[in-house]
Amino acid sequence: MSEEFKFQSEKAGDTLVIKTEGYINNVAGEKISRVFSDESNINVKNAVFDLEKSKVINSIGISYLLEVIELLSEKGGKIIFLNLDPTIDKTFKIMGLFQFSQTADSLDTALKDLT
Amino acid sequence: MEQNHLVENLSSQVQSFQEGFKKLTKADSLEDIMKNFWRLLKANFFISDIYLYHRNAPNSPWENLIPQQIVSQSDILLPKERASSVVDYDNHNYSAIITFSLTDASEIGIILGVKPDNTRLTDFEKITLQMLVQIFSGAYESFLNQKKEKTLIFGLNEKIMQLNNLIDAGIELSRFDNYNSLFEIALEKITSLTNASSGLITLSNDETGSVESTIVFPAGIPPENIINSGFRIESYFNFNKKNYRFILSEKETRKGVTNFNELDQLLLNAVSKQTQTAIENDYLLKQSLEKERIEKEMALAAAIQQRIIPEQLPKIEGYELSGINIPSREVGGDYYDCIDLGNGIYAFIIADVTGKGISAALLVNTLNAALYSYLEFNLPLNDMVDKLNKLIFNATPSDKFITFFIAVLDAKTGNLDAVNAGHNPVLLIRNDGTLEKIEAGGLGLGMLDLGLPFKGQRLTLNAGDRLFLYTDGIPEAMNINEEEYSDERMIDFFRNNSNQPSLEFITGMVNDVKSHVNGEPQSDDITCLILKKIN
Repeated sequence: MSEEFKFQSEKAGDTLVIKTEGYINNVAGEKISRVFSDESNINVKNAVFDLEKSKVINSIGISYLLEVIELLSEKGGKIIFLNLDPTIDKTFKIMGLFQFSQTADSLDTALKDLT
Repeated sequence: MEQNHLVENLSSQVQSFQEGFKKLTKADSLEDIMKNFWRLLKANFFISDIYLYHRNAPNSPWENLIPQQIVSQSDILLPKERASSVVDYDNHNYSAIITFSLTDASEIGIILGVKPDNTRLTDFEKITLQMLVQIFSGAYESFLNQKKEKTLIFGLNEKIMQLNNLIDAGIELSRFDNYNSLFEIALEKITSLTNASSGLITLSNDETGSVESTIVFPAGIPPENIINSGFRIESYFNFNKKNYRFILSEKETRKGVTNFNELDQLLLNAVSKQTQTAIENDYLLKQSLEKERIEKEMALAAAIQQRIIPEQLPKIEGYELSGINIPSREVGGDYYDCIDLGNGIYAFIIADVTGKGISAALLVNTLNAALYSYLEFNLPLNDMVDKLNKLIFNATPSDKFITFFIAVLDAKTGNLDAVNAGHNPVLLIRNDGTLEKIEAGGLGLGMLDLGLPFKGQRLTLNAGDRLFLYTDGIPEAMNINEEEYSDERMIDFFRNNSNQPSLEFITGMVNDVKSHVNGEPQSDDITCLILKKIN
């Protein structure tokens, strides 16, 4: 099990790569959301979420991810998820996240797909 | 003419209105709609001072949304009470003051400043303003419907997800590797299922209440924060003198934390029940496997023992010989034999290995193999027993030993050499009824190896003499009151019945033991051997 939620974000052109660690809940969702509303990321169109170190997500966390998906979709961007735990993968399918996002095998593949 | 001009102007505005409506409906928050509406007003009226206000219900304070101001005109200009459809074009300082109600009973206020040329609004401008208000109302209703639809779909998906995760949790919990992973999975599942901020499981002693372990999710949160939370739900179960307590703390919403609802409690109870079932099933499976292992071991031990116990005893001229071995359910390490050494010489052996099961059976097997080897060398009996002692001592742990009795008979002369290594005394009743006990020897085989010689004993059997060899399964057989059959009763039976044919005596002895225990399970092997000199 992970400790308090942590994440790292790195910008690659108009893509924001986010690596999370821990339970994606309300607090985590707010932190993720704030990154995308930050002025310095106004030109971000795409996002890659690496959830390798996050094994648990609740529906509040999902609602924040849906907002990011909507935000970037309006900008004509794409969202790609990496390293999804089977439970999270199934949850995303049920919650309809993959209607507006996709998965990739690696960060390289994801970034190539976005260029 | 003026009327036609007005219609013409309005027609040319239709496309602009449609685009405005589209823009407004694209917004995903009230702030966004208001911002877009403000821009729409700015584009249609060349007025620099345009203010927009909002309030959730009549009589609640107006909130100045755009542009943000420190001093608000709303306190002076907008009505405090219900303000549906207030329209004022006559204020000297402003071109228009309008308020209107929205579909969700919230209200909007618009204040337009003076035009750059200080003129009043034209009819066209008033109609445009009214149209824009209508467009805003429609867009806001559409925004609310979209929001409702989104919430509804999200809520439906969430319920499906909860049901699906609950089913998956049951499957995952039933396949757990160890108890830590079981509790971690259970806790992760129920915390996310109920949108709890955190949760814990404590495992405590049911009798003393002392907590043996605590698992927290997310890790690192102090357990007392969860236990003392103002928003928490609990569930627990007891099994095998242990108490398993589940606590969830603070249900999350987008607006903060709140109390859990009835569904959350049901979900927690369900996951708690799934965990209990997994623990119970694991316990029953382990018990069943252990039972199976013991049964297999016992079957193997019984097979080994039965292979060693002679199927048929040799016939000795001038003597009668019978023996029996009734293994207990747990299979002890009893052994008896009569080995024909040729030339009218016979060896009689009875032994009892400490312990039960496969280890006892294997030790009997070792003794049997060694005995057959040593008997071929025709060693003095006490030397042979000494060698057996060394072998067993080196081959077994300190708590394992064998009580052992061996006697070698010259059938022609009736001479009997015997060594008793820690076994129950062998009983001999002479023809005249005198009882003798053959005890000379030493400690049980494998107990110690101090080099002390085993003592032997020589005696002669005469016609009518009866020798009785037995293991402690006979005198120690217990009834329901834990009363032993006893040495005294056994000796009495031997004394009173050993003149019967040897097979009848053995059967009678066993029946007498059975009548004493009166159906109680046999706790040890019953083994005995009788040798009678006929002539």
